[in-house]
Amino acid sequence: MSRAPVDLIRRSDGALVEATLIDGVQPEDLVFVERDSWGRVRAQIRGKLRAGSVPRAEWPQSLHWDWSRKAAELTLLEVTGFAILCDEDWQAIMLTKTASYTARLSADKGKPLVYIDYIETASWNWPLPALGEGGRYKGVGLILIREAVKQSYREGFHGRVGLHALQQAEGLYKRCGMTPVAHDEKKQGLLYFEFSPAQAKKFMEEGGEQ
Amino acid sequence: MAAKRTMTLNLTGAEMKALEELAGRKELSKTAVIRQALRLYQTVDSRLERGEKLFFEDEAEKKKAEVMVL
Repeated sequence: MSRAPVDLIRRSDGALVEATLIDGVQPEDLVFVERDSWGRVRAQIRGKLRAGSVPRAEWPQSLHWDWSRKAAELTLLEVTGFAILCDEDWQAIMLTKTASYTARLSADKGKPLVYIDYIETASWNWPLPALGEGGRYKGVGLILIREAVKQSYREGFHGRVGLHALQQAEGLYKRCGMTPVAHDEKKQGLLYFEFSPAQAKKFMEEGGEQ
Repeated sequence: MAAKRTMTLNLTGAEMKALEELAGRKELSKTAVIRQALRLYQTVDSRLERGEKLFFEDEAEKKKAEVMVL
């Protein structure tokens, strides 16, 4: 496991807050975080959304996720877990795969890439206008996407990264400069995005969203 | 990053040729190709152990064939 300092942006005042990026999340970490922290908050949010009669279409699309069910994946060589810690809480988690998926862009078709299998920010970071909640921190998505690109370079994949996006997150990946390749019927119709080596280089040089 | 160990790999001429061709096509080092092969083999084996099946699908021809893995 390795640790590195990163900065999150506190939504309430825009201040930078020091956090820690972890490369090497363990299976027991995922069980812990869902059981002792995220699961409880998810349930509270679900209750508020129901009580407020918020339409389902406005519910966060990862509200039903359960990271403890993904713990076994981390026993595989191709799977790596990343997390961001701040305020003694887990602020975000990402699982990547390095062998199960290959590039789909025509110029890179069949070449290896880092596939972001799951990426989620803690539910207290979600802006939920319907509940009058603005969320605690932002910037975690960009930090983790940059980490996936760095992993791609370390693996010799030239920055190639791919993922299937929840509809509510598509805007982020477009702003990062990823190519929306196609909707994938084998992945619940989710839109597949990919970084080519040139796009990844531009993203890393410019430091984030475009 | 995890500590790495070194091993010697003895390949036939045909195996080395295949390794070099794959490394060229995938834009990987030969070591990275071997590492990818191990990762993929472990993932496939793990899913087969859980009772899942592996298929190759030709969408154009509408063909689907189960792959037997040792």
